[in-house]
Amino acid sequence: MKKRSGLWMMMLALVLVFTACSSGGGGSKNTPSTSPSSAPSSGTESAAPSEKPPKQLSLTIGLPGSYEVTKKEIIDKFIETHPHITVKIEDAPWGDFTSKIATQIAGNTMPDVWFQENAAILGYGKRGVAEDLKPYIERDLNASDYVDALFSAQTSDGKVWGIPHGVNSVALAYNKSVFEAANVDLPTDDWTYADLIEAAKKLTIKEGNNVKQFGFIGTASITTGWFPWIKQAGGMVLDDTKTKSMLNDPKTLEGLSQLRQGIQDGYFTNNDFLTANGGALEVFATGKSAMYMMQYSEQVSMNSKFPDADWDVVKAPKAVDGKRYVPFVTNSWLISSRASDDSKEAAWQFLKFYLGEEAQTILAESGSSLPVKQSAYTVFDNSTTKPLNKKGFTEGVAEGGVTLDENASWAEWRLLVQQEVNEAIVQGNKSVEDALAAAHKGVQQVLDENK
Amino acid sequence: MRKQNYWGYIFTLPFVINVVVFLIFPVVFSAYISFTQYDLFNAPKWTGLTNWINMFNKDEFWISMRNVFAFALIFVPLQTLFAFLIAFLLNQALRAKSLFRLMYFMPVVTPWLAGGVVWAWMFNHQYGVINWFLGLFNIDPVHWIDNKSWLVVMASIAIVNVWKGVGQSMIILLAGMQNVPKEVLEAGQIDGASGWKQLTHIVFPIVTPMVYMVVILSTISAFQAFDIFLGLFGGIQAGIPQQSVVPNLVVYRDSFVLFKMGPASAMAWILFFVILVVTLFQRYFEKRWVHYD
Repeated sequence: MKKRSGLWMMMLALVLVFTACSSGGGGSKNTPSTSPSSAPSSGTESAAPSEKPPKQLSLTIGLPGSYEVTKKEIIDKFIETHPHITVKIEDAPWGDFTSKIATQIAGNTMPDVWFQENAAILGYGKRGVAEDLKPYIERDLNASDYVDALFSAQTSDGKVWGIPHGVNSVALAYNKSVFEAANVDLPTDDWTYADLIEAAKKLTIKEGNNVKQFGFIGTASITTGWFPWIKQAGGMVLDDTKTKSMLNDPKTLEGLSQLRQGIQDGYFTNNDFLTANGGALEVFATGKSAMYMMQYSEQVSMNSKFPDADWDVVKAPKAVDGKRYVPFVTNSWLISSRASDDSKEAAWQFLKFYLGEEAQTILAESGSSLPVKQSAYTVFDNSTTKPLNKKGFTEGVAEGGVTLDENASWAEWRLLVQQEVNEAIVQGNKSVEDALAAAHKGVQQVLDENK
Repeated sequence: MRKQNYWGYIFTLPFVINVVVFLIFPVVFSAYISFTQYDLFNAPKWTGLTNWINMFNKDEFWISMRNVFAFALIFVPLQTLFAFLIAFLLNQALRAKSLFRLMYFMPVVTPWLAGGVVWAWMFNHQYGVINWFLGLFNIDPVHWIDNKSWLVVMASIAIVNVWKGVGQSMIILLAGMQNVPKEVLEAGQIDGASGWKQLTHIVFPIVTPMVYMVVILSTISAFQAFDIFLGLFGGIQAGIPQQSVVPNLVVYRDSFVLFKMGPASAMAWILFFVILVVTLFQRYFEKRWVHYD
């Protein structure tokens, strides 16, 4: 009998432990809302200020990388101008944030609003973690005040799972000193990739089997490597519906083959050279390569680490069809669909502030991202920092900005393609044909599984 | 007596709870979710054997199993042999014995990330110190971890794993060798046994239980290889070539990068069964060569 009562006590203790483990309580989930609200109520700020004091709200903001990307100044100003919202910051290093947030979501203790890569946001949206922001945008924002990238996290059925913190596009950076020393004409906005290849050949200096100076930095990364090279040849990674792999398209093969050819023939840098020489920025800044497909955010490091480098940018070259395809990436903010209605409203007030004139101007001045609000682009008119031709980035993305074919299964299929690209481009262990055939099969399987 | 029993339950309760919550529950739960579709964010949906069938249908599963078996087959004998030889040498009357022991044990406490980065550099085809050294003897540079042949890749990584793990195995074997009675060795010497005969006919048979333990532990660690691959290839996001994947990489990717906990759990369970079968296989032959008397 006593034995039995002892066992009962153990079971009771276990139940208590499990009960304690399963309780929610993170973020500001007073009354968790299980379904995304399709029509948000009018915000606290939109009520007439003279009627009654605004309701006291609380808001938990998740920041990957602390304030490395977002600016502390913006969040401090939000706290200062919104005294009725009690803000708590939860940060974690970039590398740890993904696993931290996943664990928090599983335990229902996630922040009310946080930001991550746009592709991750799309995945969260599909899994029911993100609030659809379309009704909020329609209620409070004038879409024409913003660049098209505002809707980077929009799905084919019109839902918007996040809004970009900023835009990070690519442009063709060139080292003026290297061009002048080789007496080669500087790149222009009218360049095509064929012009780039020709110039890279002229700018390459070989000494025996060694290459002393490369024409162009060939990378195997998606944003500045295989994606733009596929697009410029008229190829595609996914079709417009993002449900079909186009990696078996002959033009896709042609684009990727051009990248491999450049590396094999030694007028584009290879991966080993970049690693051994301090990375792409250093290779470019020190004149070991004349051209580089640069992401906008890299200008900050270029200016701080290599202030004396003589460089500028032009728009990313045009594709064979005469159009321009400028890949851009965004980190997007999302609002947790499981936050209480009050916290969702507080989160939206934060995002509205983030998309406002003041915050977007701070972001533009920081140089870490292009702003989403068009009026903030006036900052660049009087900019004296390099690159002087910032229109290479701003007008380039306005003319031909494309996302990296992001969809809810992007993380999975991107890895598959990257594996094959590494084997074909970096290691040269496979032909481009074989790599693309394997990638096509795998990517289509992933897309089908995630329909 | 009965009252004492009651208090016994009370005092052991914290440890029982710890084992149940942090060991038994996760193990049972992972078995359950291997039959579900579970993304961490929504409740698991029962899918029956789908994850298991999909896993067996994927090339990646068979490639990862082929790789990990090859890796274990190269790594375990190499590590055991080197650990045995080093332990034997360090058991002699050497000067600066402690310094040598420290040197061989240092890689064990070196973080994998640091070790992986350094070895990735040493293996670099164009700029690596190993190929530079081979070049001094007019030997063509070798693609080590980026070779077309998966077997060369696995062998290269196994060498790094030996560098990292040999110190730990050496300590176990050294402890065993220090227990070899001096009288037995002296008797062998009087009877005219050479150093080699002493090693093979006296020392080795006496330390076989330790050798067996080293083999078992090395085998388990080989099948669980993870950080070494991650360190050498620069992380999951860098796109580790499919020909070089091992099961734990797939488990990590599926669970913490793609949030596909069902397939990840199925793979983890398969790995458990493989390790179990291999260990039982080793245990089957134990009595033939391990001497406990």
